[in-house]
Order: sequence, then structure tokens, then C-alpha cells
Amino acid sequence: MRATQIVEAVLFSSDAPVNAEEIARADDSLNEDVVEKAIKELGRIYEESERAFEIKSLGGGYQIITLPVYATYLDRFDTVAKSSRLSGPALETLAIIAYRQPIGRIDIEYVRGVSSAGVVRTLQDRELVDVVGRGEGLGRPLLYGTTNKFLEHFGFSKIEDLPRKDDLPVVLKGENITEAMPENTEVGSSQKNQTSSNKNRETENDLPVSPSLAD
Amino acid sequence: MDLSPPPQNSQNENFLVVDIERFRGPLDLLLHLIRQQDIDIFEIPISKITRQFLSALTDIGENQINNAGEFMEMAANLLRIKAQMLLPSSVVSEDEDPRAELVYRLLEYEQIQEIKAHLSLAESQRSRQFGKGYVVPRSQRAKKETVLETQWHEVYDAAASMVVPSMDFVEHRVTTRLVAMEDKVDLILLTLQNLKRVRFSKLLEPFESKMHGVMTFLASLELARNRKVKLRQTEKFSELWMYRYVENIPVEVDTNSGEE
Repeated sequence: MRATQIVEAVLFSSDAPVNAEEIARADDSLNEDVVEKAIKELGRIYEESERAFEIKSLGGGYQIITLPVYATYLDRFDTVAKSSRLSGPALETLAIIAYRQPIGRIDIEYVRGVSSAGVVRTLQDRELVDVVGRGEGLGRPLLYGTTNKFLEHFGFSKIEDLPRKDDLPVVLKGENITEAMPENTEVGSSQKNQTSSNKNRETENDLPVSPSLAD
Repeated sequence: MDLSPPPQNSQNENFLVVDIERFRGPLDLLLHLIRQQDIDIFEIPISKITRQFLSALTDIGENQINNAGEFMEMAANLLRIKAQMLLPSSVVSEDEDPRAELVYRLLEYEQIQEIKAHLSLAESQRSRQFGKGYVVPRSQRAKKETVLETQWHEVYDAAASMVVPSMDFVEHRVTTRLVAMEDKVDLILLTLQNLKRVRFSKLLEPFESKMHGVMTFLASLELARNRKVKLRQTEKFSELWMYRYVENIPVEVDTNSGEE
């Protein structure tokens, strides 16, 4: 049995992203490197043979999903698993959490200018954000961060795929302002956490690292 | 830095119409006021903006009272900044603009809106790709086409039974609860005390307004839910019958005989 086929079988049978480490458990002959190679090989085969699907890296795992061009056909079926779109306030709150994580509710509300308890709860219920720690301040507030499910929902492989803040048209400038910018988060430990099992995605050490903010 | 607000353009302000309900919060409103008037965000004329902000607040309706606090807090904040700016520069250090924090918040808010737009786009692109999965369809029956087998005389009867709306001038006046569902509930129960069953249209006969039909229908649904009546219809679009509710005895539908 070739490694490529084993990897394909695991991916085919899964309806959620699976990471390389997890796929490697399928057989003793596999390790993460072999799995990554097999996934590249499969991707090439699918493309050359013009399959209707591809293997996409989502939230640190891999999943076989259909190509966007076939959406018009699949839209006609109620039986296709579709994820529901988020509301404006939910997207706004997610944007803040994604760029400022770990961040407490009070800080989220300060940025938005409106109370946000309900929308944070909704995001937590949908497992797009999770409590990742506690702040130092009064009452040791809960701090929130985005999850792998957040990356999956938006089609990102890792948190660094989000646009860098200084690539956006509105850039915060001025001396006082740069001083007020949040500290850059340590990027070193991200790789390992990104590939940790999907089942563990709610755990505390699964905190994705925020992209580097404006220097 | 010149902290005094630039001369006011009162003409401009007259054209400012702000629908407070459109805004998701005080920052949204403030940013709108600034952008609409092409104001340099680093040189915000605080007194002008505060006045516009406060006038927009007077429109806050009762249903928005929950959010009003957030707008009020911002208004207080604006007034505080204005007060600080009026202090002689010896009291406030020269290089510290009281507006700096507000400017930072506004820029950060605007930046978040851009990220939000980016996320929204990413979400919509992602939603064009599907993984494996099967969702049990909610109801196949709703998808079935209803074949309407109708004869010409039925169409004619239906047309003839239509109430032609009066062409006279109608004064539009909003009134509520002209017809109470509770009255219709009573009417149905009272009717079914004497009769075993009754036609839906029979209950409507004495009345003209459509609202009576709507309320009678709602009342019958409510009674059916509470197991006070049973509703029967032999086929789609046919007469609806209401039966006195009898426990565990299936009601037979007999469409041939007339009503009691």
C-alpha cells in the first residue's frame, strides 16, 4: 500500500480538516513529512486529472473540498453542508479578537464603542473564539482568542494568512499612536500549536498567534 | 499645534441629516460625521462635531434607549475634550492634544471596519467550497408541485365570490385590534356548543372585513393547538371544517351533506 493512497483514504473519509500529525497515525510507515509530501502529490494528481475538488489547508489541517467553480451546481442541493454566514457585529468583533488576541471583553467594547457580551458569547458558542487565559487587571478578566475553527470558517490555513495591519489603507500613525499600539505577540511557538489535533482545538495552549502588528 | 476649532460653516450643518438608527454605535456615528464633511481626522473641530453629535442624539427613539448610554458616554467624552482644549496652554502640556486618544480610537475603529470587510470577503469565498457532509433535508413535501385541477365554472365561482374593493375615497386611519382573536375563539366555541361541526366560511358570513377572516383562522389554529377543536379539509383549497373536539374518536369527513 502506498503512503499516498493511505493519506487519500484518511482525507476522503473525513468531513473536517485533519492535520498531518493525525494522518500519520494511520500507519507506522507514515510520519508528518511523508504525509505532507503525499498531500502535495495528491494535489498535483487532482489538478492534472481535473478533479472537481482540491485538498485545502484549513486551520492547520487538511480537507478535501470542492472547487469554487462548482458552487453554482451544489447550491441547488439542500443536502450539501453549508455554514451560515456571520452578522456584521459578529464579524466586527471577530476582527478585533483576531488582531488583538488575547483580548478581554472590556477592551473589545472600547474598540467597538458598544457593549459586546452577547456577540462574544455567540462567537464562543460557534467555537470561533475561546477563552485563552486571564488578564492581569482587576478581577482577572477572561481573555479571548480565535480558534482553528475560525481559520476554517474563513478559509485560512494559519492566522498569518490574515492581511497585515500595515497593508491596510487606514494605517495608524503619529507618535502617541504607535506607542499605544498593542505589543507584538511572540510568534515562535505558533507552528507546533497550529498542527495540534482538531480535537484539542479548544485547549488553552492552542492559542493562535496574532499576526505582527504595525511596528 | 493650533487647538482652536476652525471657523464654523453653519450652512454645511443645515444639510446634515443623521438617522441615528443606522449607526451601530457612537464611533460609527462620529466617523460618519467626520467623513461626510471631509474633516481632517487629526484636526477635528470638536465643538462643531459635538453639536452635531448631540443633535443626532435627540432623535434616539424609545426603542433605542438601551443603546443611548453608549452615545451619551461619547457625548460626555467630547465635552470633556472641549473643556480641556479651552484650558490655557500653561496648564496642559503643549504637545499633548486632548483629541489624540479619540483620534486613535476612530482610526482603530476604521481599520477594524476594513478588516471586517476583508473577513466578510474571505467568508463568502470560503462558502463557495464544500466539504463532505450530508444534511437531512427539512421537508421534501414542500417541494412537491401541487397540481391544480380546476374546471372553468370553479374559476368563475371563485372570481364571482371576490369582494370588489370599494373605489370610494378611503380615509387611512391606523387603528389596532378592530377584531380580537379572543372574540373569534368565543364565537367558535359557542357555535360548536350547538353544532358538531361548522364550515369556516359560515363563521365569516355576518362580517365583511378581511380581518375577520384572518382572526377567525388564527383563532381556529389556536383552538386546534389547545385541542378544543379539530380542523379538517378534504383537499387543498377546499372548504375548511371545524369539529367539536372529541377524544380519540376520529372524525369522519363528509363533504356531500350540507352544514347543520
